[in-house]
Amino acid sequence: MTFLTIVIRGLVRRPVRTILTMLGIAIGIASVVMLVGVAWGFEKGWSDGFKAHETDIVVGNMSGGVMPKSFNESVEQRIATLPHVADTTSLIAELMGVENLSMIMVSGREWGGFAWNSLKILDGRLPHDDSEYAVVLGHLAAGSLDKKVGDPLQIEATEFTVVGIVDGGAVVENGTIFVALSRLQEATANEGLINFINVQLKPGTSDSEAGELMAQIEKEFPEGKAMPANEVLGSSQGIQAVRAMSWSTSLLAVTIGVLGVMNTMLMSVFERTREIGVLLALGWRRGRIMRMILLESAFLGLLGGVTGVLLGVGGLQLLQFVPGIEGLLDPHISASLIGSSIGIALVVGVFSGIYPAWRSSRLSPDLALQG
Amino acid sequence: MEFVSSVEPSGCVFDAVDLKKEFDDGRVRALRGVSFKIAAGEFVSIIGTSGSGKSTLLKMLGAIDKATSGSLLYKGAPIAELPDPAEYRAREIGFIFQAFHLLPNFTAIENVQFPMFETDRPARERRDRAAELLDSVGLHDRRDHFPDTLSGGERQRVAIARSIANQPEVLLADEPTGNLDSKNAESIMDLINTIQAERKMTVVLVTHDMTVASYAPRALRMEDGMITSDGKFALDE
Repeated sequence: MTFLTIVIRGLVRRPVRTILTMLGIAIGIASVVMLVGVAWGFEKGWSDGFKAHETDIVVGNMSGGVMPKSFNESVEQRIATLPHVADTTSLIAELMGVENLSMIMVSGREWGGFAWNSLKILDGRLPHDDSEYAVVLGHLAAGSLDKKVGDPLQIEATEFTVVGIVDGGAVVENGTIFVALSRLQEATANEGLINFINVQLKPGTSDSEAGELMAQIEKEFPEGKAMPANEVLGSSQGIQAVRAMSWSTSLLAVTIGVLGVMNTMLMSVFERTREIGVLLALGWRRGRIMRMILLESAFLGLLGGVTGVLLGVGGLQLLQFVPGIEGLLDPHISASLIGSSIGIALVVGVFSGIYPAWRSSRLSPDLALQG
Repeated sequence: MEFVSSVEPSGCVFDAVDLKKEFDDGRVRALRGVSFKIAAGEFVSIIGTSGSGKSTLLKMLGAIDKATSGSLLYKGAPIAELPDPAEYRAREIGFIFQAFHLLPNFTAIENVQFPMFETDRPARERRDRAAELLDSVGLHDRRDHFPDTLSGGERQRVAIARSIANQPEVLLADEPTGNLDSKNAESIMDLINTIQAERKMTVVLVTHDMTVASYAPRALRMEDGMITSDGKFALDE
């Protein structure tokens, strides 16, 4: 028998209570995995989207909500002439209500710009030019809108025709409606306005040169911000708020877990006051008693963490089959998310055990001699 | 902390001088000036009715409670000033309780191993030692039984094996037969007697049962927190 045997035996003496407490932590951790996994997946989807149309630097004013504030399209001309810039293209990306969907990504792209290049046609074609009232749909967007090539699609008050279904190379792109920039500006009464400029760098541009370019862009366009494509969404105040919300919701769930474990461990200590007294009378040091309680609590946390990660990953898989959001979620379950979730659970376990362990260490060996 | 010599030069394991213990700001006086010496290898019973102070005295011998005044030495060192009372209880003292106090979720052989966790013995050695001790108390076939499947007498045998796991010099027994029928009580007392004789241990046994007390050659009788007699026990007292 090892010390670990004693710790584990302490947990299995009340199996139902242990399982229920562990499930309490597991649900908290599952919510962390699901909320953060979806948020990270959304950010990664955007990053993949920029990667798909080979964008190196994105210029925008990210101080607004999830989507950046719009600005004058003439800024693109000033940026295009800066050193190390190979190509630029202007876009509007907006989350809008379109027909039966309360929110879908609509991307107005400068006709002839490189942002169109990454779209692989699955059915139909791209618009002939920017004068045509035509849209192409990412295949997930086509499914959500229940549209096929040739169907009409109304954006705001303007009617377009679906001319193609495409694979955009990333979940965000596949859930997007693509339209020529000028047509979207017209449909949304935003003539002359854009909210993104995508920049491609010349081959061989170093990181420091890219950094200098971004600084120069911000001089040319002081109200905007230039950033590497993979950092765009993270810099959005809206996304930062979403992140904060997902972490604070998770924190709430984890706090409930802490209270659950603390309650269980306190009950366990109260139930075992006589036994702890006996161990003290047999010569066990108070530190060993504390270690026993803390380890039991840490084990509860660890088991809850592992179960929570499994529940969270399973839940995310199930969520992807829910009608309406089927295919739109691309949760990002990374090793760091799994590791940090289990780490949080472990910390929950240890933290919850501190007070019960302290209480147990205050007991007296005298208890062994009472009756 | 080390108790290097097995006995103090005077030959005393315990030396108590004018021990007093008061509770509730002096309103309750559990011990009213108790003095005695117990030599190494001695078997002493402390007898008295409930409230006579015998259990309070046992707690002091086990470094579980401290006297209000007076001195209590173990091999010449004041027990109340021990830097590590847990070490003292782990290495020097073995406890036997009236209610056995085996841990219910652990088998007999596991229960015997508990005191050995505060020693450097590796797990296998702890198990081997526990098995050997259970054999010595006649429980070879009951090693892997949980306490609730053992009889009262068997449980107390496991507790006795546990009490000597670290080869302590002193055995403190608190009403060890209090929860047993007369047949089992006799068997347990025979076992304690054998252990004391074979291992030359100092045994201090607290009881209110005269038959049990008669196993010890010397008895301290306590009444109202005082020792009223100290000498050879005679059953017709």
